[in-house]
Amino acid sequence: MKLEFSGSRALILGGSCDLAVCLAEAMIKVNLLPILTYRDENGYKKISNHLSSFAGKYETVYLDFADIASLDALFCKIKDDLDFMVDFAQGDIEGLIASANQDDISRYFEQNISFRAKILKKAGRAMLKKKRGRLVFISSSAAGKPNPGQGFYAAAKLASEALYKNLGLELGSRGITTVTLRPGYIDTGRGKAYMQGREKEVLRLVPTRKAITAKEVTDTVLFFLSKSAAGFNAVEIAMDGGLTAGKCLK
Amino acid sequence: MDILKKVKEILAEILDIDEEEIAPETYLIRDLNAESIDLLELAVALNSAFNIKINDDEIFLRNLRPYLTEAKEKQADEVAYLLGNFPFLTKDRITQILGDLQGGPVLKVKDLVSYVAWMGKTG
Repeated sequence: MKLEFSGSRALILGGSCDLAVCLAEAMIKVNLLPILTYRDENGYKKISNHLSSFAGKYETVYLDFADIASLDALFCKIKDDLDFMVDFAQGDIEGLIASANQDDISRYFEQNISFRAKILKKAGRAMLKKKRGRLVFISSSAAGKPNPGQGFYAAAKLASEALYKNLGLELGSRGITTVTLRPGYIDTGRGKAYMQGREKEVLRLVPTRKAITAKEVTDTVLFFLSKSAAGFNAVEIAMDGGLTAGKCLK
Repeated sequence: MDILKKVKEILAEILDIDEEEIAPETYLIRDLNAESIDLLELAVALNSAFNIKINDDEIFLRNLRPYLTEAKEKQADEVAYLLGNFPFLTKDRITQILGDLQGGPVLKVKDLVSYVAWMGKTG
C-alpha cells in the first residue's frame, strides 16, 4: 500500500531513542522531514551517526523536558511550522510506590506529564494555524498492565494518553487528530534490555510468542500518520501480540 | 494595519459569518455565539496576523469575575483593580463592563482591538 501524507514536517520527541531514529529513516524514505529532538550531546551523536547517510534530509533540535526555555526555543526554531508529531519521550523510573523518593515523584510527574501538556498546547496551536495536524503518542502496554515497580511510569503514560485523547476530541473538528499506540515487548531499546536473558519466559506471556520489531512499530506509526488512517482519532491501540487482551497464558 | 478591519475579517472566517454582522460593540459570546474552540482559533489567528503574543486569559477577560471577588475581599476599588489586571482596557470601558455583568459574558469586539493595539505598543 502506498501511503500518502498531508504535509511533511514531523517533530519526533525523544528523537535519540532506537525507535525514533528508525522512524526518522523510514520517514525520509517516504519524503517526510523528520525533526528529531535530543537532550544531550550523546543523543545528538546517536542521531547523527544513525542518519549519517541522510544529511540534509532531517533536522535536529534541543529539547529537555526539565527546561521550559528549550520548549520555547524549539517552537521558535521550527517557526510553528508543523504537520506531524510523534512522541517517544519518556523518563525512566523504576521502584515501588511505597519506597519512592518524594522529590523524584514530583520531578518525574512534572517532566513527564506537565511538560508534555505544555508541548501539546504549543503543538496544538501551531497546527491550528494550518488547520491540520496529526499526533501519535507512543505509550506502552504497561499503561494498562504494569508490573510491580512500574507504577509511576504507568501513571505518567496514562495521564499522557488522556492529554492526547482530549486534544483529539477538542481539535478534531479543526483537522487535528491524535492516536496513542501501546506497544508490548519490543526487541529494541528498553524492551530488549528487559528481555535479555529471559526472552522465553517473557514471551510465553504473549499469545503470538513474538516480540514486536522496530520495523513493525515504525511501519505502524507511518500508517497512522498517513491519509489512510484518517478515521483514527482520540484512541488507544494495543500493539502487543495479544499480551494485554486476556489472562496470562503461561 | 487597520486592526478592527483585520479582527472582523478573522472573526468572519472563524465563525463563518458576514463581516457586516460584526461591529466594535458586538458581543462575541452573547451575539456571535463564539465557543471556546472558536476563541482558541481566534487567539492563534490574532497571533499570526499581528505577530504578538496572546494571553488567552487576558484577551478574553476570563478572570474578570474572580478578579472582582478578589477586589471585594481586599476591599479595593473595583475599577482600579480591574484596570491593573486588564491594562489594555480604558477606565470608561471597565465602568461599562461593571454595569453590564448581569447580561452575561461581556467580551466585545472592541476589547480584542484594544488588546491588539496595546500589545503592539508594549510588546
